[in-house]
Amino acid sequence: MPFFLEKMHSIRFKLITSLIAVSLFVFLVSILVGGNMMYRSVIDEANNRIRQDLNVARVIYNDRINAIRLALELTASIPEYPETSSSSDTLPATKVIHQLGRRLKLDFVGMTNARGQIIHQYRQDSANTTGILSKNPLVTSVLNNQQPIAGTVVLNKGQLLFENPSLAGRAEIGPKKKSDSKNAEITAMTIGVAVPIFVDETFKGVLYGGFLLNKDTDIVDKIGETVFKNEIYEGRNVGTATIFYNDLRIATSVKNPLGERALGTLSSPEVSRHVLGEGEKWTNRARVLNDWYITAYEPIIDIFGQRVGMLYVGVLEAPYADIRTHAIMIFTSITLAGVLIAIVLGWLFTGRIMQPVTHLIQASVEISNGNLSPDIGPISRDDIGRLQKKFLIMTAALKEKEKRHKVEDETRLLQSEKQASVGKLAAGVAHEINNPLTAVLTFTHLILRRKDLSDEVRSDLEIVKTQTERVRKIVKSLLDFSRQTVIKTESTEINKLIEDSLGLMKNQALIQDINLSFHGADNLPTLTLDQNQFQSVLINMIINALDATPPGGHIDIQTMQVDVNRERGVEITIADTGSGISPDDMGQIFDPFFTTKEVGEGTGLGLAVTVGIIERHGGTIKVQSQMHKGTTFTLWLPCRGRKGSSDSQTDEESSDIEDINS
Amino acid sequence: MKILIVDDDAIVVQSCIRILELEGIKASSAGSVEMGAKLLSAEGASASFDLILTDVKMPGQDGFEMIRQAREIQPAIPIIMMTGYLTTRTMEKGCCYAADNYIAKPFTPDELIDAVRKTTLRQKGETGK
Repeated sequence: MPFFLEKMHSIRFKLITSLIAVSLFVFLVSILVGGNMMYRSVIDEANNRIRQDLNVARVIYNDRINAIRLALELTASIPEYPETSSSSDTLPATKVIHQLGRRLKLDFVGMTNARGQIIHQYRQDSANTTGILSKNPLVTSVLNNQQPIAGTVVLNKGQLLFENPSLAGRAEIGPKKKSDSKNAEITAMTIGVAVPIFVDETFKGVLYGGFLLNKDTDIVDKIGETVFKNEIYEGRNVGTATIFYNDLRIATSVKNPLGERALGTLSSPEVSRHVLGEGEKWTNRARVLNDWYITAYEPIIDIFGQRVGMLYVGVLEAPYADIRTHAIMIFTSITLAGVLIAIVLGWLFTGRIMQPVTHLIQASVEISNGNLSPDIGPISRDDIGRLQKKFLIMTAALKEKEKRHKVEDETRLLQSEKQASVGKLAAGVAHEINNPLTAVLTFTHLILRRKDLSDEVRSDLEIVKTQTERVRKIVKSLLDFSRQTVIKTESTEINKLIEDSLGLMKNQALIQDINLSFHGADNLPTLTLDQNQFQSVLINMIINALDATPPGGHIDIQTMQVDVNRERGVEITIADTGSGISPDDMGQIFDPFFTTKEVGEGTGLGLAVTVGIIERHGGTIKVQSQMHKGTTFTLWLPCRGRKGSSDSQTDEESSDIEDINS
Repeated sequence: MKILIVDDDAIVVQSCIRILELEGIKASSAGSVEMGAKLLSAEGASASFDLILTDVKMPGQDGFEMIRQAREIQPAIPIIMMTGYLTTRTMEKGCCYAADNYIAKPFTPDELIDAVRKTTLRQKGETGK
């Protein structure tokens, strides 16, 4: 596994990654939910504000109308005019009209008689229009109703020229779309007032006046001043106001990048559709020239109830958007700090957690390398501490087991070394003895064949023959012991084998007055073993028990299933009530040539051979004994045989030898 | 019938000769493998030995070498191996060198005679087929 991948799977990496993931998740949620909510409430606030601002703008717009109306009404009510209005002497009236024009900054002021003929007109050029029928729609309206009228009025080119030729130039605002017929001819939007002049309840004429909204700066700048206090944000006016004639900007405080007022440009079709088409107020963010504004529009309705234009106020969105950007930046930096803290904390934290674990891992490696007392570092007080304690218990148990195994191994090694060396010695001695023994046997037999022997000599020679046979037997059993005897295994029901062996020993037990009993457990697993060898083991053990047990005693044999190291097997116990084995002898009973029997009664090889056979079957033998109480041998045999099929060939040969020897 | 006995221990050779004499079997002896091989080839193509009785463990060349050389000179001659220490390994090796029978030392006269008879009979039975 590459180093990087290994790192990726480390607990430290996972923990830190999850901490970072949590931080990022919180960040995203904050941005999406919090940021959006905040932005929305800010925008809502801005929208509310802009609606209020629009109302203020409307009030300012109407104030202008009302101011003119008030002045005209006041002027009209002065009694001198009516008289002079009908007379040819127009000087005082002219004076007043000129004053009105100047003081109210009106673009046009005039007076007509009751028929609508101009009595006087305030105009820059010297043309005399006296007596000409006024074309002004305000005048027409008052002539018809004899009621004052005030509001927004649209004047066409003729009307405008009639009122004041110099206005035509001001009114000319180049529409961007030449094809738009509405704006193709010069028309102007004005604020106008007309009041009737009554003398003694008699309608004598009309006093009217107004000013051009086209290129007017008063209203829009006043709105900017009053509503937005001429606030500047990054070099731009925060608040802007515009008056539209239809969708054409005719008066505005919006400035283009050159610092010029952005006159003559058009509103977006969507706005004009809503405001001019539907007559609704419209509040939304909109792009005005190059900047985004939060805007509010409402229609301007002229004196005839027609929607002729729009009033607009807008605040720069940038301050509000900047609040959002700022908030996102703060969120981002908080998150980055969080991630950084997560990494640092995670690093330190996992370091603290992982340190004992790393120690444990190292300790495990050391254990597998054979060091059973590894350093696992200080015991921590958390769950890891519990693991560490368990680990210590485990190593202690391992040590204990290792120790036990070592003792067992040493004992076994000692025993097998002893057996091996004795075996080698025995083999060597036996081999050397066999040659002279051949000669002794041969010549004894040959002498015995002679007919001329006296009975005394013959009986003496018979003793030589028997004792030589005895030597031969001892040597043979020595060789049997030392020789790697091959086991010939087959499936065996151990209980039946024991019963068979007992059958052979029954008479002997009866003679010695010893009670020989057997209790076999049911359902024992079948064992794989060499029946002949194992029967000789059993018989050997029973003979030993019989020899050790005084008359009236008993020998009890039992079997049961016992699993050792998870391997199924059968345990056989042979317990006698005999003399027992003295502690001095206990260590030697399995040694070759060790015997407690009278000289000539035993070779001292029986138990040694028995141990050899049992070990070759993969089994074990143990002994417990108490002096004068009795001895118990415990044999354990595994279910499966130890040897494979490779020995079957030599097995047959060994049966050949038996042929020869018999 | 004549038997060649190969054994470095003179008393074993003597014992065997005495037993075989009683049965009317003539025997020559050799104290080593070289001597045995010489005797076997010196007698010529007349093949005067009917059986070889050889020890296994001898100083210098051992019984297996004796069998190998005997088989070169007289491939069909019956050979009995005598050993004081009969192990499965000895038997396996003997089998490889094609010994015909084994006899474990020490043996009684009857056992030796029996082994010789059985081996020659078996040999005759096989050749008779």
